[in-house]
Amino acid sequence: MKPALTVTPSATDGVRIVIEGPITARTAAPIWQAAIATLAGNPGRSVVIDASRLGHVDNVGLAMLFDLVRRERSPEAKVELVALAPSLASLLRLYNPRDFVASVPTRKHVGVLEEIGEATARRLRYLRDLFEFLGSCAHAVRRAHRHGFVGLDDVLDIATETGANAVPIVLLMGFLMGVIIAFEVGLVARQFGAVIFVVNGVGIAMLRELGPLMTAIVLAGRTGAAFAAQIGTQKVNEELSALATFGLDPVEFLVLPRLMAGILVLPLLAALADVVGLFGGALVMTSFDVGFLQFYTHLLGAVTAADLALGIGKAAVFGLTIAAVGCHHGLETGPGATSVGLSTTSAVVTSIVLVVVIDGLFAVFTS
Amino acid sequence: MGRAMAISGSATASTASLQPVISVRHLRMGYGGRVLLSDASFDVIRGEIVVILGGSGSGKSSLMKNIIGLYQPMAGDILIDGVSLVRANADERAVLQRKLGVMYQSGALFGSLNVLENVRFPLDRFTRLSLEEKNLSARMLLHTLEMAPAEALMPAELSGGMLKRAGIARAMALGSEILLLDEPSAGLDPITAANLDRTILSLRSNLGITFVIVTHELQSILAIGDRAVMLDPVSRAIIANDSPTVLRDHSTDARVHQFFNRQPDALRSDRGH
Repeated sequence: MKPALTVTPSATDGVRIVIEGPITARTAAPIWQAAIATLAGNPGRSVVIDASRLGHVDNVGLAMLFDLVRRERSPEAKVELVALAPSLASLLRLYNPRDFVASVPTRKHVGVLEEIGEATARRLRYLRDLFEFLGSCAHAVRRAHRHGFVGLDDVLDIATETGANAVPIVLLMGFLMGVIIAFEVGLVARQFGAVIFVVNGVGIAMLRELGPLMTAIVLAGRTGAAFAAQIGTQKVNEELSALATFGLDPVEFLVLPRLMAGILVLPLLAALADVVGLFGGALVMTSFDVGFLQFYTHLLGAVTAADLALGIGKAAVFGLTIAAVGCHHGLETGPGATSVGLSTTSAVVTSIVLVVVIDGLFAVFTS
Repeated sequence: MGRAMAISGSATASTASLQPVISVRHLRMGYGGRVLLSDASFDVIRGEIVVILGGSGSGKSSLMKNIIGLYQPMAGDILIDGVSLVRANADERAVLQRKLGVMYQSGALFGSLNVLENVRFPLDRFTRLSLEEKNLSARMLLHTLEMAPAEALMPAELSGGMLKRAGIARAMALGSEILLLDEPSAGLDPITAANLDRTILSLRSNLGITFVIVTHELQSILAIGDRAVMLDPVSRAIIANDSPTVLRDHSTDARVHQFFNRQPDALRSDRGH
């Protein structure tokens, strides 16, 4: 039997609605809407809803019946439900119309400007939190120095894991950086007969900027994310609380080894990127008639140990930043698995932004 | 009063309603090459509350995932309303799956939607009801499951028991006549668990909903189960299929007796070593 609704005048100058057939989630819509239209079209008349021919009713059908009888109408225009099965009637009695009067809370939609403002404020708050976190790390360093808690083994394990796994990708990126710069700058320099000065460009760019910067970006994506995910998962699993109940400070136990590993690994990887970058540059320069030996001797005159030291020093700062941001986001993870994903994403974004900002500061203060 | 209606289904219904809604036939299932059940057969009759029980690792949840069609059995067949789920193509399977409402162990609510939106989600997708009508239907379900005060909260803000109850509300939203619940009362306080049992009984008797419930909460099994299907990880078979009280009081199988009487394993020294 298909669901149907028929409206007839009743004996008492009212309206009689007969609902028949099964009323379920999939069939209720037209019947529900027609019944409501009938109620709205007869505001001053009494309405009898005849449920004697009703078929199967599910929870949506039940909601429809409830919706029809819960509406406020004048006393002479009452809505009455007759011939309803006792099981349905007893279910309907469980619901009080007053419980459903409050409107459904709508979700607040944030405007573009408001969102930009909020995001800026969040970033500023985040910077303050990060500095506080670094402060607590410094405290933890002093405590760990007293207790001797930070195991060198832990640091080396983390450093090996983060460093060794990143070697192939750092080699590839560094090599390609050297090749690309030498090639692009070489093409322009050749027009001016200044091919040999490409060596200066490649040397300074790789040692001072691209070696540390590209390595930092690779590590932000790999290691920063991994730190946030590891510590975030531990927080969700209440492992951090378990540590705390043993009297162990998560910062001392989990964060310090990672910070030290970050400071240790990134300069080493940056040095590797420098070497393969210069090699890539030298390889390209052979096609501009600059041999390896000529490249090497000119390079010695073009860059100084200070350039290399600056690059390596920057790399150490980047390493600290990436590890600190990763660990901080991990510790700040909220409840639930979703939060781990959010922490990981924001750890990567924040550390890349901070690395570029710090690089800019270095450029300003060391030029 | 009008004629008797189809909504009054119960375990003791007429022969017409003895048609099984779920039929598991010679099922062999497991995962990763490991067989958990080697030849299992049982039926679920319309309006029944069937509990699937067994110790940890006996394959209760895997069996449920086979019935839902999320896992493909190694052999055998599963019929929903007489139609094979195993041989169905993707479209036919989706139609069969929509007949089932499922609550997963942790609720499995969508994290980006609040509780009310989660319950409304299937109504949004599969009905032509107006927003107001969908909201009322969803709110009444939440009210039934005592979740009304939490309707605007996000899943991350809910406790384990609230997640489960919201999950049941969502499973019911489309008016599914068969509900599969994976450990609905595990981790709930005794009062909430008893309320949930009462709600399940009321939904069965008033809306004729059939329940398949995976659980090992003994009190709940005895309170609501019409029939208990017990799995055994060692023999990889169904070792009992009867009323829980009958099993508790009259089963001659030592494993069933041990489970229903909550007895520990025998100690090594007790075995005469």
